[in-house]
Amino acid sequence: MTFRQFAYRNVVRNRRIYAAFFMASVFSVMVFFLYSMLLFHPSIEGGALRDIALLGMGVAELILYIFTTFFLFYSMRAFLQARTKEFGILLHLGMEKRQLHRLIFIETILIGAGSIGVGTFLGYMFSKFFFMVVKRIVLLPALPLYFSWEPFALTVGAFLSLFIIISLVAPVFIRTDGLDELIRGEGSGQKTEGFSKIRGILGLILLGLSYTLASLTSNNIVIGLIFLLPPLATLGTYFFFTDSLPFLLDLFKGRKELYWRHFRLLAISEGVIRLKENARMFFIVTIVSTIAFMSVGILASLTSFASQYREVNPLGLVYVSYPGDIMEERNINRLRDELRRNGLEYTYVEFPVLKQLSSFTEFTVSIVKLSTINQLSVAFGNEALQLKEGEALFLPPTSSTFEQLNSQNVETVLEESGVSVRVNGAFPYQLFPAHAIGTNAIILNDADFEQIASFVKSPSFVYHAFDIPDWQKTKNIGLTIENSMAKSILEGTTHELNYSFDNPGRNYSIIRTTFTLLLFIGLLLAGVFLLAAGSFIYFRLYTSLDSDRKQFDVLRRMGITDREFKKIVNRQLIPQFFVPWGVALLHSSFAFLTLQVIWDALAEISIVRELVFVLSGFTILQVIYFYLIRWRYLAHIRTSG
Amino acid sequence: MPKNTIKNTILELKQVTKIYEGKVIHRALNRLDFEAEEGEFIAIMGPSGSGKTTFLNIISTIDMPTYGQVVIDGIEPESLNGNELALFRRRNFGFVFQDINLLHMLTVEENIVLPLTLDGLPVSEMKRRVARLSDQLTLNEILNRRPDELSGGQAQRTAVGRALIHKPKLILADEPTGNLDSKSAKEVLELLGHINQTERATIIMVTHDPIAASYCDRVLFIKDGEFFNEIYKDERRQTFFQRILNVLSLLGGNVNDLRTM
Repeated sequence: MTFRQFAYRNVVRNRRIYAAFFMASVFSVMVFFLYSMLLFHPSIEGGALRDIALLGMGVAELILYIFTTFFLFYSMRAFLQARTKEFGILLHLGMEKRQLHRLIFIETILIGAGSIGVGTFLGYMFSKFFFMVVKRIVLLPALPLYFSWEPFALTVGAFLSLFIIISLVAPVFIRTDGLDELIRGEGSGQKTEGFSKIRGILGLILLGLSYTLASLTSNNIVIGLIFLLPPLATLGTYFFFTDSLPFLLDLFKGRKELYWRHFRLLAISEGVIRLKENARMFFIVTIVSTIAFMSVGILASLTSFASQYREVNPLGLVYVSYPGDIMEERNINRLRDELRRNGLEYTYVEFPVLKQLSSFTEFTVSIVKLSTINQLSVAFGNEALQLKEGEALFLPPTSSTFEQLNSQNVETVLEESGVSVRVNGAFPYQLFPAHAIGTNAIILNDADFEQIASFVKSPSFVYHAFDIPDWQKTKNIGLTIENSMAKSILEGTTHELNYSFDNPGRNYSIIRTTFTLLLFIGLLLAGVFLLAAGSFIYFRLYTSLDSDRKQFDVLRRMGITDREFKKIVNRQLIPQFFVPWGVALLHSSFAFLTLQVIWDALAEISIVRELVFVLSGFTILQVIYFYLIRWRYLAHIRTSG
Repeated sequence: MPKNTIKNTILELKQVTKIYEGKVIHRALNRLDFEAEEGEFIAIMGPSGSGKTTFLNIISTIDMPTYGQVVIDGIEPESLNGNELALFRRRNFGFVFQDINLLHMLTVEENIVLPLTLDGLPVSEMKRRVARLSDQLTLNEILNRRPDELSGGQAQRTAVGRALIHKPKLILADEPTGNLDSKSAKEVLELLGHINQTERATIIMVTHDPIAASYCDRVLFIKDGEFFNEIYKDERRQTFFQRILNVLSLLGGNVNDLRTM
């Protein structure tokens, strides 16, 4: 048996231990490879949307890489710790330290090469599927499967260098002094209670403060809080795991009537030990999960913004023409022509908008004609309204202002033309995007309107509204108009532009695809995080498997039934899985409370539904993962020896 | 001769045979008969591989005999299902192990009350019992220490406390002095003897050590899974010890076989 064969057999025969580590590595490599396949895709080039997609993928790659580095380091350390006894024996038998390091190096490279190989292979297998998903989301032309050296080189290069560095650095973690200690392995040197009461209380205070601030936040201070809260909560979380929890558990242990009940004695004392060993890991898992929740939640809330887009933009196309717009007729005809050619039904209404000074408010008021409003309103399926001469209705700028305006009854004189009207109530339907006609707008009876029109000669602007039932299909309509607008923006000649054109359908498809793409990227990343967090716990369990087994044997002899044993294991595992999870959930819920304030100010939308969806999705995944790992753990611990 | 004239059998093994099926069929116990009276302190001796551990495992209902009958306090463990069996063990047995096996995350006091917490006794009762036992076991000073802060003797005394706290019918000790120095071993053996006297506790102890065996009322020798000999104690421990050595030498020159595995 050569030295290399020995290393190889070590890995292959220890595959149970290596399985979780290997799986998580493979998954990281695979996701990394998928992103790179897209990054280097030959048929992707140019375009704002593609830029966003590529940037998203690039950032995701970077995050993934950094995270994988941490993950590998951490798991490697846990591994080597679990094998201290084995190393002790090897050293005892006369293996040199140098050889031991080489052994670890070869082993790590073996696993690394294996996971890179399997990861890229799986990645390549899944890339067609991945492209199809991306294609559907990004609405790119079909992406053919391609073969090029670049994604392979990037993935293999990135991960191979990572594994090499780790395998060179990892042996440093093994304490090669004190042979007998190595052979005895873990478990003999349990430190006694080591927490600071002050830091424990400080942790609780910090968390309490962060939560209070987050829930009490208002528009004025929210920006400051965004910078203040994360470090506050992070520090609080750290102390919470290292000191507050041990402190609280210690308080609990003092109350024997509560502590000496059934399995609590076993479960809690075991929990304290686990907590002490893993406090830092719990902290990392909590922060990572919080970030994952937050990013997915934010992205999901952006998607929610997209779905509420229609309510905010009820019209299919909008063309606004200001005085001096020589292109008006040509552009409108072109739009109608393009709609017809695309087979899209539409209702076209032209709104001349007049402006007058209102004697009541001393402000300018925009005026539209009742018959045009009715024309559009009927197209929306509403009933036509009637107004007598001298009567008017408010036209609410947003749906939320309707209630307030509807209760108003105002007499005013439109000063330039001298027409006096009574404005009683508001127009009940939302036909325009917010503030389209002006913040202060009224609807007049046709006769009154004509009287003012003849006085002011030409309208302030003409609002051309297209109501298109199939509004999402308009993304290729009016491209020439948009291009010439974009051109004048680039040339800085917007002041010469006497019109504006808005295509909500097109905007919607851009916003929606961007957000879904980011969401997709975020979900993949969160998937990696999730897997890694679970693997951390699994490794930890594995490191203590020997002593756990022994304990199980003692308990079995003492007469613990199978069900009781399961209960004890549950009580030990559940906190490890769900306390970091729960804290992360709590963190992100409060963070979203803060974000909701921003959203409210921005777009009047609620992100609650999306969040509940995202968070419960993650929780379900975590529960499944818990059962999976518990099943493995129980199986390991019952096979004695 | 049993000390109490009124016979009260607590444990009875009839023609117990245990065969391990595997690649090699191994007959660990062969038609072994054994009885223990209430309040007896019995040592089981035999060379390595003689079936001592199997014997103890069968008594402690961890293992079931292939043939034969086991009756413990009038109950046949074979008639119980897994759950009932666990509860049966919990209520009737106290265990003392060679490698002590205290739970490292519990204090001495908590280790001792562990069996009681599983049965949900009132805390006041637990405290009362711990107080009484810790006097007897001289553990008062160290009740709040962790197992890794104890000497071997202290740790094993704690384990004895854990085995006694729920007042079991039978205490099963597997090489309780195997990992102790001679002074601690003496301490623990005297303690077991004392408990046997004062509490009338029945103790069955598997051991390699003739000195340990000489503290008992009776020594059962087994060899290759079969009954080999049985001797009762006499007036002086020294002569009893000598007689044990004699039997051991008959057993096949394994007197010096003090290995534990």
